[in-house]
Amino acid sequence: MRYLLGVASVAGISMLATMGMVILTGYTGLFSVGHAGFMAIGAYTSAILVMRFNVPFLLALVAGGLLATLCSLLIGHTSLRGRMRGDYFAIAMLGFGESIRLILANTKPVIGGAMGLPGIPQKTTFWHVLVIDIIALILVRNYVKSQWGRNSIAVREQEVAAMMMGVDVAKVKIWALAISAFFVGCSGGLWAFFMTYLQPAQFSQTRSSDLLASVVFGGMNSITGPAIASFFLAFVPELLREVAKWRLVAYGAVFVIIMIVRPQGLFGYKDIGFEHINKILGKLGLKRRRYADVSQ
Amino acid sequence: MDRFAQQAVTGLSIGSIYALLAVGYALIFSIFNFSNFAFGSSMMIGAYAAYYALKSPSIPTWAAIILSLLIGAASSAIIERVAYRPLRVRNSPKLFLMITAIGVNLLLVQSVVVVIGGEYRALPLPSRLGVISLGRVNIAINDLLAAAVSGVSLLALWTFLEKTRLGRAIRACSYDMSTASLMGIPVDLIAFLVFAISGFLAAVSGVFCAQKYAVSPYVGDISNKAFIASVLGGLGSLPGAVVGGLLLGFVETMISGFVSSLYRDLFSYSLLVIALVFFPQGMFGKDVRESL
Repeated sequence: MRYLLGVASVAGISMLATMGMVILTGYTGLFSVGHAGFMAIGAYTSAILVMRFNVPFLLALVAGGLLATLCSLLIGHTSLRGRMRGDYFAIAMLGFGESIRLILANTKPVIGGAMGLPGIPQKTTFWHVLVIDIIALILVRNYVKSQWGRNSIAVREQEVAAMMMGVDVAKVKIWALAISAFFVGCSGGLWAFFMTYLQPAQFSQTRSSDLLASVVFGGMNSITGPAIASFFLAFVPELLREVAKWRLVAYGAVFVIIMIVRPQGLFGYKDIGFEHINKILGKLGLKRRRYADVSQ
Repeated sequence: MDRFAQQAVTGLSIGSIYALLAVGYALIFSIFNFSNFAFGSSMMIGAYAAYYALKSPSIPTWAAIILSLLIGAASSAIIERVAYRPLRVRNSPKLFLMITAIGVNLLLVQSVVVVIGGEYRALPLPSRLGVISLGRVNIAINDLLAAAVSGVSLLALWTFLEKTRLGRAIRACSYDMSTASLMGIPVDLIAFLVFAISGFLAAVSGVFCAQKYAVSPYVGDISNKAFIASVLGGLGSLPGAVVGGLLLGFVETMISGFVSSLYRDLFSYSLLVIALVFFPQGMFGKDVRESL
C-alpha cells in the first residue's frame, strides 16, 4: 500500500507539471525543451527555504513556484515581447534549461554543486499531492474556459488572425509561460520533498522531454487526456520492470508515431467532463430521470 | 602571449568542427525553417559506424571512415523520409516538427544506450598523430586535420550550392519552398539531398569529436553547440554558421584556458540565451520576427 501510494505520488507530481505544459504547449502552442530548468528552480528554492530558513513546507512550495515564475517572466518578457518566432523560443528555452543546470552544478556553497543536495526532509505525502493536483486541475480548467484560454487557442491556431482580432499575442504567450513555470516549479518542490535529495543531473534535457511526453500522448487540446497520460506514464514502468529501460526509447517512438498518425494526441479534442459521467451512468441504468415519462 | 596563441590555435580547430556542425544544422533551418533537434543523432550514428567499421579487420581505415560518413548521411535522409516528410506534405505546424525531432533524438540515442550501452569507448585510431612546433606554439596534427577537413568540406559545399544546378535549386528552396515547387523544382529530391548533406557534415564532425573525446551515445550533445553557433551567426545563414562556429570555438577555448573549464558550457549557453533575446537576427541573419 505504501508502495502504491508512493508511485501515485510520483504520478501526481508529474501530473502537476503536466498541467503547466498543457497550458504552454497544448493550448498556446509554444514548445519548450527547457522546462526542467523551472523544475530545478522550484525544487532547489523550496528545499533551501525549508532546510536553511525553516519556512513552512507549503509556503516554501509556493515560493519555489513563484521564483520559477519570476525567471520565466524575465526570459518570457524579453523574448516573447520582441515577437520571437516559436522555433527561436524553443532554442532559447534549451539554452535557459542548460544554463540553470550548469549554474546549479557549479555552485558549491549551500546547494552542493554537482554532488547535489542530500538530506531534504521527506514532507510530501500522497494527500498533499492529491489536494494540490485537484486545485491545479480546477485552475487549469478555469483558465482554459476563460477568455485567456480562448485567446491561447486562437494564438496557437492562427497567430496573425488572433492579432487581427485584437488579441495581445505577446501577453497571452508570456502569461502561458509564467503559469506553466509556476506549476512546473511547484511540482519541482513537491518532488524535492518526495525524493529527499537533489542533483543537477536530475534536471537534464531528458526531463524536459519527460514533461512534454504526457501532453503529446494525451492530446493537444485536452486537460484530462494529458492528466490521464501522466498517470499512465508513471505507472507503466513500475508495473513492467522488465521493459522499464526501454521507457525513453518508447517515448521517442511514440512521439514520432503520434505526430504522423494522430497529431491531436490520443484524446484529441475531447475532454472528459461531468456529461460523460452522466452518460456512462445512463448506460448503466442509473441516470436520474430528469423528465417525467412522457410516453406513458 | 604564447599561451594565448596556443589557445587560439586549439580554439580555431574546435571552432572549425563547430562550424561544420553549424552549417549542417543551418542548412536544414534555412530551407525547412525548423530546428532539427535530431541533428545530434546523426552525429552519434556516424561516430558509432566509424567505431565498428574501424574495429572490423577486413575494412581498411580510409574505407571505414568513408563508410561511416555515408551511413551518417543515409541516417539523416532516412529520418527525413520516415519522420519529417509525412508532416511536411501535410503542412503541419512547426510545433509538430519540433516534437517529432525531439522524438527521433530520444528514440535513437536511448536505443543506443539500451542496446549497445552508455559507456565511453575510444575510437581505434591513433589519438595523437604528432605535433608540429611553430616557435613555441605546438599544433597537434589532429587539430590541423580537423581544421583542414572542415575547410575542404565547407569549400566543397559552397561550390556545390553556388555553382551547380542542384545547388541553385536548393538556394531557391531556401527563399521560398512553395514558389520553388511551383517552378518545377522537385522539392522531395531537394529535401533528400539537404538532409543527406547535413547528415554527412554531422558524421564528419561526429567522427572528429569521437576521436577527440570518445564514442558514446552522448557524443551528439555537442550538436547543442551547433545551435549556439548558428544563433550567433544568424539562424539559417550558412556564412553566419561558419563565423559563429569559429567564434564560439575560439571564445570557449579562451574561457577554459584563462578562466576555468567548468564555466565553459555555462558561458556558451548563457551566450545563447543572451544572443537570442537581444540579437535574435545574429550577425548575418534575416529579420526573425513573426511575420504577417
